[in-house]
Amino acid sequence: MDLILQLLFTGIGIGAVYALVALGFVLIFRATNVVNFAQGEFSMVAAYLMVVCVEFGLPYWLSFVIALAGMALLGVIFNLGVYYPLRHRTYLPVIIATIGASILLSNTVLAIYGPQPQVLQGWFDTPGIQLGPVYLDSQYLLIIGVTILLVLFNFWFFEKTLLGKKLQATSQDKEMASLLGISVSTMIMITFIYSAVLGGLAGILVAPVLFVSIQMGSTIALKAFAATIIGGFGDVAGAIVGGLALGVIETFGAAYISVPYKDGFAFLVLIAFLVFRPQGIFGERVAEKA
Amino acid sequence: MPLLEIRNLVVRYGEIEALRGVTIAVEQGQVVTLLGANGAGKSTTLRAISGLAKPTSGDILFDGHSIAGLGPEAIVRLGISHVPEGRRVFPGLTVKENIMLGASNRKVGASQISREADAMFDLFPDIRAFSNALGWTLSGGQLQMVAVARGLMAKPRLLLLDEPSLGLAPVIVQAVFRIISQIRKDTTVLLVEQNARMGLSVADHGFVLETGRIVLGGKPDELWGNEAIAAAYLGGHAKTHA
Repeated sequence: MDLILQLLFTGIGIGAVYALVALGFVLIFRATNVVNFAQGEFSMVAAYLMVVCVEFGLPYWLSFVIALAGMALLGVIFNLGVYYPLRHRTYLPVIIATIGASILLSNTVLAIYGPQPQVLQGWFDTPGIQLGPVYLDSQYLLIIGVTILLVLFNFWFFEKTLLGKKLQATSQDKEMASLLGISVSTMIMITFIYSAVLGGLAGILVAPVLFVSIQMGSTIALKAFAATIIGGFGDVAGAIVGGLALGVIETFGAAYISVPYKDGFAFLVLIAFLVFRPQGIFGERVAEKA
Repeated sequence: MPLLEIRNLVVRYGEIEALRGVTIAVEQGQVVTLLGANGAGKSTTLRAISGLAKPTSGDILFDGHSIAGLGPEAIVRLGISHVPEGRRVFPGLTVKENIMLGASNRKVGASQISREADAMFDLFPDIRAFSNALGWTLSGGQLQMVAVARGLMAKPRLLLLDEPSLGLAPVIVQAVFRIISQIRKDTTVLLVEQNARMGLSVADHGFVLETGRIVLGGKPDELWGNEAIAAAYLGGHAKTHA
């Protein structure tokens, strides 16, 4: 029982990272009808920005702010350089452009930093606290706390503010939104900035748990992508539930079945969903959107 | 000076010439109805006015100034509100949210917009009960009411209505047209209709479009009086009511 609680905590912690990246996938997909294959690289770039700032001797909080500001800027550049010139084309050229951007980002970091994985210290000096039988790692606590705050913020932003409603309207019918005077290009810009910051936040939070490496982005992105399919593609709640579920499943799988096959469990679940329930957990709601 | 003046407007979609030199004028305070068969260019005319379709040549003057080539976001800010074919109510937003977004062309705060949206239900009492229902749950007639209410939230000087009767039961069509005759007290309306009888019943002036050209224009009585034209376009045949 103690082990189950412990695994549940760790699983939710890592699942929260997938959920944040998955949320970025879904928001961009809804706004542009395109899967952004560079979403994982957002996490990787942010983690490296953190490493650079910390090595430079800046305080941790300042590095954090700079890294997130850098991600916001990357969101702007990404929108203008990758999506905007192709916005009137079909989804295919845009998807290829995001793949190209992802290769460009990882190779740029590789050229600057080399292939050696980097280590990023955690935010807290205390490694964790013992709560009864469960040891709560401070970094996982931070990840879970930030994710809860972000999910609440996301709900408030999209459901309670006029700007959130305009973003939703834009994602549902761009032409109609423009007829009402909503600036579609501004809404898409906001979406890219927000998604880049979400992805970056996930990367920064998970960096002390994993190594900071060129490949970390694609690993996280694959899991997050699986999470969006499990949750129901295009569904915000689905992305969060799918991400958490995936984190828990792979943690339990690693503990009870096989550690080397840890990454495999996520994709086994993905395949099972694709075969038996391709619309995902919240599938019906996606259909309603159409 | 007319509120809206279209001069020799040509619109091409690739090889296809959808409008081949359309000239019409809409005076302030009028309801003008644009009639014609499917594919005659009625919707394209409205899309060119609201900025969704780029004119190939010709000019569109609103209040004396050319708006040809401006984007839809800029044109709705000038006071032209387009309620497009198919209603286009956002399916994942509630009725009230849809109506509130109609004010996106104006610089007003959210609480003010919320009050105005509530007031809009006085004009559309049939949808008041569905204020918090999501768009996709509504019937065709309710969607049309939401679409018109949303269009009016822009406080337009000119309202473009594309086929508001399409696919609606006769009793609902009558309700929609009752609303149009109420709207006209404050707003100039350019109405596109296949349903000639209903379309002309509220109009001060009518135009008939045929394959991208205006073939006839005049007061509703004159249009009804022209026998050949009345038989061909205005009919009373079942198909014009489809």
